[in-house]
Amino acid sequence: MTSASDKTVSGLGPHGERAAAPSRITLLDHDIAAARESGFSVAIVIHTLHSDWSQQSMAGIVKTLDQCGATVSEVVNCEFDADAQIAALDRLSGEPVDAVVSIPVGNAAVAEAHRRVAKAGKRLILLDNVPTGMLPGRDYTSLVSADNFGLGLIGAELLSPHVPENRQVGILTYGVDFFATNEREIAFARWIKANRPDLTVHTRRFASLETTGQTTESLIEEFPELGGLFVVWDIPAMEAIRALDCRGVYVPVTTVDLGREVAIDLAGEGRTVGIAAQQPHAQGVAAVKTAILSLLGLPVPGWTALPGVPVTASNIVESYQAVWSTDAPAEVLKLKGGSS
Amino acid sequence: MSRAAETNGSVRGTKGRPRNSDGAAPSLTKILNLVRTGQATTRQEIERTSELGRAIVTDRLTTLTALDLVDESELGVATGGRAPRLVRFNANAGLVLVATLDQTALGVALSDLSGKLLTEHHEALDLNAPAEDTMSRLESLFEWILEKSARTQKVWGIGISVPAPVQTPSGGLLSTSPPILPAWDGTAYVERLIQTFKAPVWLRSSVGTMAMGELHDGEVPPDSTMLFVKIGKRIGAGLVVDGKLYRGAQGAAGLIGQLPVASDGLTGPLELLAGSDTIAQAGRSAAKEGESPYLAEILARGGEITSIDVGQAAQAGDVTAMEVMSRSGRLIGHVVAALANMLNPSHIVLSGSVAQTNDILLAAVREVVYGESHPLVTRDLRITASRLGSSAGLIGGAAVVVDALFATEFLRSWITKGSPLGAPKFEKVIEVTRAALAHPEADTPDIPSPPRKTDLRSKGNDA
Repeated sequence: MTSASDKTVSGLGPHGERAAAPSRITLLDHDIAAARESGFSVAIVIHTLHSDWSQQSMAGIVKTLDQCGATVSEVVNCEFDADAQIAALDRLSGEPVDAVVSIPVGNAAVAEAHRRVAKAGKRLILLDNVPTGMLPGRDYTSLVSADNFGLGLIGAELLSPHVPENRQVGILTYGVDFFATNEREIAFARWIKANRPDLTVHTRRFASLETTGQTTESLIEEFPELGGLFVVWDIPAMEAIRALDCRGVYVPVTTVDLGREVAIDLAGEGRTVGIAAQQPHAQGVAAVKTAILSLLGLPVPGWTALPGVPVTASNIVESYQAVWSTDAPAEVLKLKGGSS
Repeated sequence: MSRAAETNGSVRGTKGRPRNSDGAAPSLTKILNLVRTGQATTRQEIERTSELGRAIVTDRLTTLTALDLVDESELGVATGGRAPRLVRFNANAGLVLVATLDQTALGVALSDLSGKLLTEHHEALDLNAPAEDTMSRLESLFEWILEKSARTQKVWGIGISVPAPVQTPSGGLLSTSPPILPAWDGTAYVERLIQTFKAPVWLRSSVGTMAMGELHDGEVPPDSTMLFVKIGKRIGAGLVVDGKLYRGAQGAAGLIGQLPVASDGLTGPLELLAGSDTIAQAGRSAAKEGESPYLAEILARGGEITSIDVGQAAQAGDVTAMEVMSRSGRLIGHVVAALANMLNPSHIVLSGSVAQTNDILLAAVREVVYGESHPLVTRDLRITASRLGSSAGLIGGAAVVVDALFATEFLRSWITKGSPLGAPKFEKVIEVTRAALAHPEADTPDIPSPPRKTDLRSKGNDA
């Protein structure tokens, strides 16, 4: 069995590319000096600002832009709405921004609007998702993402020891065709099939965060003996956990993203038994470095990926510090007996 | 067929209902393909281009609409009179599954009937693993992609590309599994896919499908003559003439990696002296001997040096890496120049991750080809690097299936039924493959084996 925790990138890119490591995108002193002289302007178009992932990613982006003397011309919060994203991108296409960092909130629906940004001569750095058919170098500059396939493998590997033999396992995944969540879902199922052939995987899709609880309840109704659950990111995972709480059912859960709420649940040895953490701060930094290098006329990889970090109750304090570059929340520290 | 013959051959029936006579098939085929390929977008254009009468066109469009193959609900732009109704092909009438099997990766995609990819996914996979593991993974991913799309249309065709020449029957549909790799001998992969997804299968070499992908979604005009060169561990070529893939007598056209070349006193096959393994090896030596600071740093950090690293080092100005890439480019250039003089392509496209991420190799190929070719050959020749990556194989695989589904002869056999799944040839394939899987050979317990060709022939198989 291959360990998913060896901090390598397991997945391939949206076009089958091998990942470039973030260390390959390095800004040298003279790059920073040249960027400062140019005074670049960068706009951010993000799916939501209401998650820990978004806030940390934004922190990485803003900090690095500041180091390069670049200005953040605008931050657009799309709230997962494709129409809002299209309107924002079309407006930005006509504005004097040098680069746009965007996380496409859908697939075909938002592809053309992103293409128009690149056609308008802006450097387009995508985070986590590439709509099908968009090509690096033609339709966008570069994709910077987590190793989402690796995150799915970690989710499965951490869940497996908590699931008794011959049980049903659920995947709660996003109903929208989204590269990042697709990869997590595929990888989770692949790991289970390869390493726990005694388990049967059932996938259920939620169309929006609001329907996650309902989807969880119908899954439990269908499979009352559910042995484990993988949810493709932390916010719907907490919705699912609340639905399980309401029913008084214990099902071990793993998810992706080390958000505050799910971290507390993991530390308190609630239903969360493991988290495949992304590195959103480092991802934000890498996205800006890519944009700056490209604006300076230097070649950049088509896909840069950051490996996932496996987090359990036993390493949560250290992991939180590593992922967020800050102390774990007081609740987590208290639950872990003040260790830090 | 003359207009009079068409009229006589048309079906009498109530307007608005699908016609089932084979007599209408030739004109239905002609009209559908004109609409599908965008050569005609209004009734007037169909009449003009097809040379069919108005009554026939009206009748056939009614049939095609009832079969859900065309749609006339949209209006075009008026040019003086009433706005014409636009006739559009319904690319959502069916679905196409595509897979690319590479030595180290598996790609899958779902496309519509225009060949446009709707979803794609790539993952690492060792093709030397047991065939059953790969088949099982492929089926799981196909099932996943269909389920994820939530589309209710049926799969009309499956396109598979493999890293080997493919011998397939000319005409007819596949109902047995051609030999592709030693580890797959005796594996009834074609029969299994046909039975699992109830759709016909088309098989092509990787380089052939990538060439088709470049033609459909790259920067090469669709009616071009293109030489497509894939540079990796193996080096292969695909030739597209007037928009059609040339496969050769045995499907083995383009095995240029075996051509002998000479470099630094060594003579050997092109792929051995210029392929990505050699590039990586040269990079590792340069790093160890301190000739390349860029690569030495990667090595010092504990990284493994790949051909892509050497390409990136060259791109960043590392002199030794530049020479390694340039040497490979020159060797490839000599072979490509000979082919260019023979074939006179309008475009040469270099593909593979080394070629796509590195301008030095591209520049070296250009230099040699321009230097060694007849001036007429290079006058309008464009030599570029592909931007499609591994997606090229998926786009090309979808294009192969779409071209085959709508090839005149096959289309005529199913058009009155509204779907290729109703074609008599395919019904026979379903029957033959079901029988083949029901009686596997005893020595291949994991996957049922294909029947012997003589058995199939005795059952009247088209292949």
